[in-house]
Parts: sequence; structure tokens; C-alpha cells
Amino acid sequence: MHDFPPSAARRATEHRKMMQEGTILSFTVVHHPPEGFPTEPRTIALLELSDGTRVTGLLVTNGITPVIGQHVQPRMRLSRITSEKLRIYEPAYEITEQKPVEQKVFPGYILALTGPSGVGKSTVTARLTRSVGRFAAPVPIVTTRKAKDTDEKGEYIHVSAEEFMDLKKSGALVAATDIPSKTEQRWYGYRASDIAAIWAKGKIPVVITEMGLLQELSRHYGRRSILSCGLLPPGRSKRTMLSALLHRLRSRGRDTEESIEDRMKNAERDLAFFRDQKELFDHLLVNEDLDTVVNSLKGHVMELVKA
Amino acid sequence: MNADIFLIGAGQTRFGEWWDKSLRTLMDEAISAAITDAGVTALDIDFVVVANMLGEATCDQAHLGSMAASLLPHRPPALRTEAACASGAVALHAATALLESGRAETVLVVGVEKMTDVPNDLVAAALMGAADAERDAPSGLTFPGVFGLVATRYMHEYGLTREKLNIVSSRHHVNAVSNPNAQFRMAISPEAVGASPLVADPLRLLDCSPVSDGAAALILSTKKESDTRLAASAISTDAVSLTERQTITSFAASRTAAMQAFAEASIGPRDLSHVELHDCFSIAALVSVEDLGLADPGMGIHLYESEDHLTVNASGGLKACGHPVAATGVKQLIDIRKQLRQSKKQWGLAHNFGGAAATAGIHILENLHA
Repeated sequence: MHDFPPSAARRATEHRKMMQEGTILSFTVVHHPPEGFPTEPRTIALLELSDGTRVTGLLVTNGITPVIGQHVQPRMRLSRITSEKLRIYEPAYEITEQKPVEQKVFPGYILALTGPSGVGKSTVTARLTRSVGRFAAPVPIVTTRKAKDTDEKGEYIHVSAEEFMDLKKSGALVAATDIPSKTEQRWYGYRASDIAAIWAKGKIPVVITEMGLLQELSRHYGRRSILSCGLLPPGRSKRTMLSALLHRLRSRGRDTEESIEDRMKNAERDLAFFRDQKELFDHLLVNEDLDTVVNSLKGHVMELVKA
Repeated sequence: MNADIFLIGAGQTRFGEWWDKSLRTLMDEAISAAITDAGVTALDIDFVVVANMLGEATCDQAHLGSMAASLLPHRPPALRTEAACASGAVALHAATALLESGRAETVLVVGVEKMTDVPNDLVAAALMGAADAERDAPSGLTFPGVFGLVATRYMHEYGLTREKLNIVSSRHHVNAVSNPNAQFRMAISPEAVGASPLVADPLRLLDCSPVSDGAAALILSTKKESDTRLAASAISTDAVSLTERQTITSFAASRTAAMQAFAEASIGPRDLSHVELHDCFSIAALVSVEDLGLADPGMGIHLYESEDHLTVNASGGLKACGHPVAATGVKQLIDIRKQLRQSKKQWGLAHNFGGAAATAGIHILENLHA
């Protein structure tokens, strides 16, 4: 390995993201480590971290035999000292528990659509689940926000804030988030029972998410279960994307000017999320033409059905 | 295919430890043999494609396109391809494109590698260039380590035992006994594979293909016809790092390239009589027979346990023939042609990949005298 200061410094910026707990996906003992590393055999694992990203890292076994599915904790460790006396630190992962952890069973696939308010998530979901209704079904959103005439039938389950909190405490919700708003207290969530019911019918649940919900779903079911699609407004720059959203929010006439202002603020945050958390998305789709987006998603659904 | 392309000539050096031969002499030997075999003159060659991965790291030599062309009297145009161990398949694919476009009518493809001159540490570090330097290497992973991860996971998912895995390398060694160009022409028992030293758990020394020197050359033409037609050429790619894959027990690039190649040749896996596949490590052979559609997921070992109408790595594969990385993809086609001529069967396939199949290439040959 060539460890020159610029590449080492660049590498160090990755370390923050790697300092998460994780699960062992696979491991090996390298009996002849590369030049520059300590010469004793190294146990190296492929790990899935809690945000769903995967890394390879040194396992600190503490004399425990590694097992696939075991839980590990990150520890920053001195990895090697270069010939120029540069001290290179790397995250390593420590096995803390003796007993093998039960394997998380793969529950099934979920199709998640993420995008800023006004990009057309509901329309796309409705069109998609109508055209491939035999294979996919929308998951109702549990929410505290007030019902509107424009809501699709069965799109929302309206509850009071107290009821929502009770559901959250009882563990019935697999994901919950509150979206900042000046006009009302808005909580959104998904119930495990709704998702399980769709799987039981042999269909793929389709969920509409934003960053909080997507992260919680991916933590609960495992990143592998989620086919995550980001839906972007058309436009080459952030400014044109935001103006496309503003235009759509105004023309659909569902929101007051005040709530549009809220939504635009959140949209800016959501667009940044696409950039900063790329690893949470399998596909990014630009909603320039509704038919194209729905057809592309249909293709993804059929791939999952085959899988 | 947008043109009828024929494999008109082929030649190779024996793979092995060639301390008395340089990159240049290895290429010269293979090229001369290919030209003689083709029955054309050197002047008929109007483009040269050189496959090489490690020239800079092991021989301080880049610029291999011109070096190969300078071995011909008329110095034709030349280029070099690099896609780790799939460099050979990518060179063939580039040659196919040149022929299809009409830019060239006869193309010489030569794969060459020199790995045994330098210490092991250096060649291991250079090979690790096939993985992701930012995502895989900092943990201290080596290339056998990458496939150790694949093997551990495969055994976990499909319950493959160490005893069964021993069969793979043993079978390749038995096949190589009759191949005069193989580096290791000796039979090895499954027990000996299981007793060899550990390299990257659960992989042992005899699960790993060796480091080798060697060159292989072939001549493809749209002008001159022969008994062997190139029926398909497909390349597919995937994330370089294992950390960016959904699964590590199957390689998406191999699956995609296979699908495209079968479609191009208008045949299916059942039509094949001979397959040469990329067994850089024993576990890679099992993953590959599954990715090519020759076995169901997790069932690849059945193909090695039973004799079948289909031959897999009848040459001895990478394990026993040796694996001068960029020469391998070219050499596989030479073996397929030889096998088709011997058996008088119609279809044969070569599967070559680089890294952990971040590049996969598939070529299908048709024997027109079947």
C-alpha cells in the first residue's frame, strides 16, 4: 500500500462513516498479510454497518471464534506505520459477545420511493400499484395529519397524536418520523402488520419514504430487503429542481402558501440527502415524464418478483 | 455479431516459470506460432491488440501495444487493454469491435504476463490492484482474502463442505495431465488439496491458481474463413469492491455477460459441449458454473462430482494450466478450439473475469465442421 499524506488524509474522512456497529456477513483469515502490515495472520470481515453500508475491516476477535451474523463494535486502531513513520489508523471491529447471534431471516423485498414533497410520489405509487396490482400493493401511511379530499382512498390511516405515540411505544410501528412544519404537528409511520399482510398475499409492499423513514426501515428489515428508488424533480441544478417543485405544489392546489413554504424548506434538505447518502439508493429516477418513471419502476418490481 | 468473424490461427507459450524469457520474447513466441498456424503472412495483420495487466509493476514496462507491433515487419497500429485478469477477454472484445466496424479485417490479439521475476509480496500487491484500493485494501485484505470471504459466505449459505471443495482443484489437475501447455501436469488427490497449508480461510494453497509467465495469441479475421467462427463476444462490469455488491455468492457481471452472449449466439447453456471458466480460486469455479446457468445456485459442485456430456476446464483451468493473468482469456479460446476439433462438437464457451468479476467476458466459438 502506498500511504502518502494526501491519500491518508482523504481516507481519514471516510473513517467517520465507518465508526458504526455492524454485523458479520463473511470473514477470512489472511495468513500472509500484504507488505507493510504486521506479519501475523489477520482476521478480516465483510460487515454490514447499521446504516446499511458495507465495509471490510480487521476483526478483533478477543479469542472468540467469529460467526456469520455476529454483532461487532467499531474501535479505531493503529493499523501500520509506514517507512516514512506515518502512523496509519483504521477502524477495526471488535466481537463483544461469545454466543453466536441468531441469523436475521430475510423477510422479503420492499420497494421504497423517496423524494421531496411535490415530486409525485403518491401519483407514481397509485399508477404503479394499479398497473401491477397482482405483484405490488401500497402500504397505508399512519399519520397525524388532517385528512384531505385529494387523498387517494386507503392511502392514509388517520390517527390522533396520542394514538400515534401509543402505537410507537408498543412497537407496532417499524418506522416513524415527524416532518417539521409550522402549520401542524405531522407524524408519519408504517405498521409492521400492514407490511407483513402484503407479504402474506405474495405481493411486494410499496412505501413512500423520506430520509428518516427510509433509514428506520432499512435498519429494521436490513438494507438488502429494500429496493430503494429516489425520485428527483427534473432540472439540472438545485435551483431549477426547486422551482419545478414549487410550480407543482402550487398547481396541484392541495396546500396553502404557508405549508408550501414549509415543504420547500424540507425539499432543500431532501435534495441534499440524495447527494450525501447515495448508498441508501439503488436507483435515482427523474420524474420528467410520468409514464417513463412508472414503466421503469414496473421493470424493477418484475425483477423482484422473479428474484 | 455485425460481421462473420473467424478464428484463423492460434499459438501460445507453455505457461510456467520462464526466467529466461522476457515480455518481448514471450509475445514473439506466441505471435509467431499464431501466424504459422493461420497460414497468413505477418503483413496480413492490420491491427494488434495486446492484453496485459502487470507490465509496469513486474517489468517496469508500459507501452506494450507498440512493443508487440514492432515484432511485425510493417508495424501495424496497436493498442493495449487492461481489465485485471479479464484483460484477455476485453482485448478479444476490442478486436471484435474493430472487425465489426470494418476498421480492420485481420486482427492479432496477444495476451502476455510476466509474474515470476519479482518477489511474492510485490506480485501480491500488484494483483490487489484488481480490487478497490480505497474500500478493500486498507483492511489488509489480499486477493486470496477476497475469495476467502466469498468462500466463507458460500459455505454458510449453501452448506458446501471442505471435503467437497477439494474435488474442484483435484479435477483440474487430473485434466491437465494430458495438456502439454499446462504449468502443472500432475494429478493431485482431493485429500492433498485439503491438507495443503491455509492461505485465506477456508481457502488453502491448492485452491489458488499459481503465478505464472506466459503468452497466448490468436488471429481473428473477416477476410479469411476457417473452421471456427466467433459466435458471440460479451463484456459486462460490476462494482469493483465486494462492499458494493448485493450478494457475493454470485457475480452479476458473469450472469449478464452470459445472458448477452447466449442471445448473440442464439443458443442456450444446454447446447454447449465444452466450457473453459475462470477458476482463479476453486470457489470461483463453483460460483461461475452457477452464473453461466450450467447449475442451480449452490449446486455447482454436482457438475464436478459427476461425469457429464459437458466438459468443464478440460485443459486444467487456471489452477493447473497456470494463470499469467492477461494471457488467460486468450488462451481459453485456444483450448476451446482444440476441444471442439477433437470432439467434432458444435459449441464451446470461454468465461474470463477480472477482480471478483468486476469485469466478466464471455466468448462463444462455433465449430463449422461439427
